[in-house]
Amino acid sequence: TCLWKKETNTLDVAEVESRIKALCQQFPHGITDQVIQNDMPHLEPQQRAMAINKLLSLGQLDLLRNSSGLLYRMKDIQSTSKMKGSDNQEKLVYQVIEDAGNKGIWSRDIRFKSNLPLTEVNKILKNLESKKLIKAVKSVAVSFKILNVKMQRCEVSPLTRRWTFDQDFESEFVEVLNQQCFKFLQSKAEAARDNKQSPMVQRNSSFATSHEVWKYICELGISKVDLSMDDIETILNTLIYDGKVEMTVIAAKEGTVGSVDGTPCGLCPVFDDCHEGGEISPSNCIYMAEWLDF
Amino acid sequence: MTSQGVRLCSLLLREHFGEVVEKVGTHLLRGGAQNLRTIIHETGISLDLVKKSLCVLVQHGACVFSSGRKGPGSPTEYRTSCDWILRILRYPRYIYTAKTLYGDTGELIIEELLQRGHLTMSSTVKTVADRLTQNMEEGCCMDYNEVSSAFAKLVETHFLQRCPSMVGPGTTASATPATPATTGTPAVPHITLVGRGKRQLCGEDGEDQRNTKKAKTDSQTHGDEGICWQVNFERFHLHFRDQAIISAVANKLDQTSSEIVRTMLRMSEVTTSPTAAYTKPLSANEIFRSLPTSYNIPRPILDQYLTLLVDDPMEFVGKSGESGGGMYVVNLHRALANLARATLESVVQERFGSRSARIFRLLLRKRHLEQKQVEDFAMIPAKEAKDMLYTLLSENLVQLQEIPKTPDFAPSRTFYLYTVNQLPTARMLLQNCYKTVGNLIERRLFESKESKRLLEKSQRIEAILASLQASGAEPEQLTEVEEMITATEKQQLEALRLHINKLDSAENQVDESIFLIESYVTSTMSAY
Repeated sequence: TCLWKKETNTLDVAEVESRIKALCQQFPHGITDQVIQNDMPHLEPQQRAMAINKLLSLGQLDLLRNSSGLLYRMKDIQSTSKMKGSDNQEKLVYQVIEDAGNKGIWSRDIRFKSNLPLTEVNKILKNLESKKLIKAVKSVAVSFKILNVKMQRCEVSPLTRRWTFDQDFESEFVEVLNQQCFKFLQSKAEAARDNKQSPMVQRNSSFATSHEVWKYICELGISKVDLSMDDIETILNTLIYDGKVEMTVIAAKEGTVGSVDGTPCGLCPVFDDCHEGGEISPSNCIYMAEWLDF
Repeated sequence: MTSQGVRLCSLLLREHFGEVVEKVGTHLLRGGAQNLRTIIHETGISLDLVKKSLCVLVQHGACVFSSGRKGPGSPTEYRTSCDWILRILRYPRYIYTAKTLYGDTGELIIEELLQRGHLTMSSTVKTVADRLTQNMEEGCCMDYNEVSSAFAKLVETHFLQRCPSMVGPGTTASATPATPATTGTPAVPHITLVGRGKRQLCGEDGEDQRNTKKAKTDSQTHGDEGICWQVNFERFHLHFRDQAIISAVANKLDQTSSEIVRTMLRMSEVTTSPTAAYTKPLSANEIFRSLPTSYNIPRPILDQYLTLLVDDPMEFVGKSGESGGGMYVVNLHRALANLARATLESVVQERFGSRSARIFRLLLRKRHLEQKQVEDFAMIPAKEAKDMLYTLLSENLVQLQEIPKTPDFAPSRTFYLYTVNQLPTARMLLQNCYKTVGNLIERRLFESKESKRLLEKSQRIEAILASLQASGAEPEQLTEVEEMITATEKQQLEALRLHINKLDSAENQVDESIFLIESYVTSTMSAY
């Protein structure tokens, strides 16, 4: 019995720590107290707690909670180096944001999770942002809430957030998708027309369900992120508002009626100021002169 | 009588009838119905000239007279309207339509009638035959009968109508002209006109003059004295409207559908009143029987096409019942509204770009939207969307509707909704079109005035050339005369000719838009 006690006493703190770290590396998903106990059965709970605390404060270990109790996980070196200059509160906030994963987290939720007052949280968020560790992303639907996510590609599934990668619509991306959808529908309509069957069959086969369009776009692979059916439908809606496409597909635009656009007056920026005998008049109109000589 | 409308009317009157008529006409436009004494007094033109101007205006259907306001016995009042005078802009289109429907004969008949206003059948036939004979080869002549039959066809299809019979000058009390008979086919008078067109010989000038004098003093009566004919503008307008609908269907769907719609419209030509919102219901059986056989459309295919037409979002054709294989109507008002809407959209697109057009169409569809919703639906970044909306708002194409949450209209507690009202926007666009056409006409006159000296010189030289050729001059003399115009001057003349042609065709193009929007506005107003 004496020997026993001695053995536990001789267990160095450093050894315990390195042992725990080795265990963590062995089980990357995290280890529980139980695992450590099983490995070092002679380790007293107090010592264990001390070692774990030391590792935590050094920032080499992550403390997580799951349904069955506490989990300790190895922190990757990269992230430890990131937080070198920050203090505990910042570390805490950063931890909270990191836990939210790619979805990001509302600032209000950060406040709840970290139990810090609002002003503190805002200050910390600003600090972290200046250190480029987190990124604020405005959501389209609710502009007064600020979303904080890590510097990573945005999460794909919520429609509103996909279009707001750079705090704005990815307008070029939208345009490209717009054109691709239109081309697809157009080619379908042409194929249907060349088919020369009865008109009802023609029309029905020139339809493309949003599912088909979605499949086509996915197969094209022009989009790095995955798009859902809803997103494709919003794109199709913009095509409708462009008058190019209907809920049922029409390949040609409706008859473009002869309009004022044939003349320069239709595009003239000073149309309202133009009077005969005035400074701007049809007689001395430079746009007309250009148009006539065209 | 908007200011732009009046400006355009005065330009048209000046170009076609001269300055005196322009003054009288503009005065009537601005002042409403007036009697003779007021017109003389306010325009300062002599009685004689005013009378002649009024005659010209009445002759061409631009002015009507009626008994005075103070009851019978008060002097007659004269009244004109922008619409009637603006028809002058459309004369080329009427002539062209007549040409496509009835060939050269029809074209010349309509041209004569448009030039003269009212004319008897016999004089028309004679003049047209002479003109046609002029253009034919040597030895051929245009028979009067052919021209008469063309004339009769025009009357049958209502393109020409009888002038309302004027009561004699003594009975000024009931001097209101009777409205021309619109129902039934007015009987074409049986005229005793036998003969052929006379070719006008290109002889010496003296002989020409003698010929024309002879025509004037030709006192032969042909049995139709006092029966004058005029062009039925309304009928032409209905035809244009039908054309627009058919071509829209052809563009949107396909050729066969447009043929079906054309058949339906043809069948309802005589049974539908001009201001009707729908044609009379036609059963599918009737349509099938009336289809042109060259298309060879079997019955079930026809049914399918009709169903497609009915389902189309443009709502050209509607189904009104099931009897007789399905009763179908052409929705005239809705078709016009859609065409006007397409015109508005294309104007916005040309002027402001396709993204603004997207916003415009979005607002037309969804009626009222908040700023945020516009950005979301149109998928345009917020800053740009805001910019475009404000531009459209400043041009009055888009209106803002405030819906307050609290009675004090505080900005933070009010909904601001953007909306597009099609009818007022269409009216505004119509005014812009009038102004544009006015600008084009002015530019044309300006260009001609600038090169007046050059034009006169070229005309003189042409006259000299013609007379030299007629008197048999040698080629050297001709070339000598031709060289009096330098090369640069020839270039200038050519450029001038191109400019004027371009301006002319642009006027016609804008007139097409004017016609569409006017029809839409009239049909919407008559629905209320």
